[in-house]
Amino acid sequence: MATLHVLSHSPFTDSRLSSCLRILGSQDALLLCGDAVYALQDGSAQRQALELMPENIALYALNEDVQARGLLCPTRLKQVDYPGFVALSCQYDKVNTWL
Amino acid sequence: MKFAIALFSPPHAPSSRRALRFAQAALAGGHEIVRLFFYQDGVHSTSSNVVCAQDEVDLPREWREFVQTQQLDGVVCIAAALRRGVLNDDEAQRYSRTAANLDAPWELSGLGQLHEAAQLADRLVCFGGP
Amino acid sequence: MSKSLLIISRQAPCSGPGAREALDIALAGGAFDLPIGLLFLDDGVFQLSSAQQPATLQQKDLSANLQALPMFGVEALYVSQRSLAERGLQDQPSSLAVERLDDSSISALIDRYDQVITL
Repeated sequence: MATLHVLSHSPFTDSRLSSCLRILGSQDALLLCGDAVYALQDGSAQRQALELMPENIALYALNEDVQARGLLCPTRLKQVDYPGFVALSCQYDKVNTWL
Repeated sequence: MKFAIALFSPPHAPSSRRALRFAQAALAGGHEIVRLFFYQDGVHSTSSNVVCAQDEVDLPREWREFVQTQQLDGVVCIAAALRRGVLNDDEAQRYSRTAANLDAPWELSGLGQLHEAAQLADRLVCFGGP
Repeated sequence: MSKSLLIISRQAPCSGPGAREALDIALAGGAFDLPIGLLFLDDGVFQLSSAQQPATLQQKDLSANLQALPMFGVEALYVSQRSLAERGLQDQPSSLAVERLDDSSISALIDRYDQVITL
């Protein structure tokens, strides 16, 4: 079973991302949206933590949130639009949004 | 795929718009939405009393039109709604409140409807927070 | 066969309706005889403290609702070992019989459920 974890809180003010990273399964994936895309901020410890995640953890971000904040994504991250978000929710066995 | 979509945030939260865009994309992609369930602050996304500036997205109206046009099942948790002052005519009368702010197409019901939707759907997708 | 649902409760007990509303999802699921699991994670572990007195804040005590979980058939109750340790609660008695899990066991737990709600 592989889970798509969805995060929308800024990792600088909130512990959801760090909690999530601790309990990720080996086939799980992360989708960053809303303020969670700030985890991609260059030079941040959060960005480093994401880049250090094992290769088998897929990393996604909602494109409108990345663009709205003027962020640059690491090469391992795939930006998705809403149809892409829907496709991911079908591809993974379940979706766990950190509300 | 069959989706159950649950919203936990109010209309001014970006996640409310995100949930709507996801739901629209799901239908556009040929999927089915078994139910939309509004819980916690998500009940505010169904209020008829939210006033949006002319140059802003009117999410409660968009949600309402989406459910009506697509003939979807839009359920609002009654306990969460009462606690937050979102009442339909019946509840406003029952509790002697001066105003009702929940209209069609929204239905007030219990958490059983969330569980039923989760059982019927292939995927339960929740939206909340920022 | 019914789909199983894991609820991950992360809110502290006195900080608004979050903890109560997470619990309500679990109880409702139990009332419908569904396979429900409940994991207390991050600040959610504070809900298990037997020392709390929410009446001081004119708030309802969630302990009664928590004790009702097994009666509603919700017996798969878990708590994050790490969250307890981070908050100095690892040696405190819990108000509820819960299984302590480390991070990799939590990962395996999430895997076993068909659906998850983390609130």
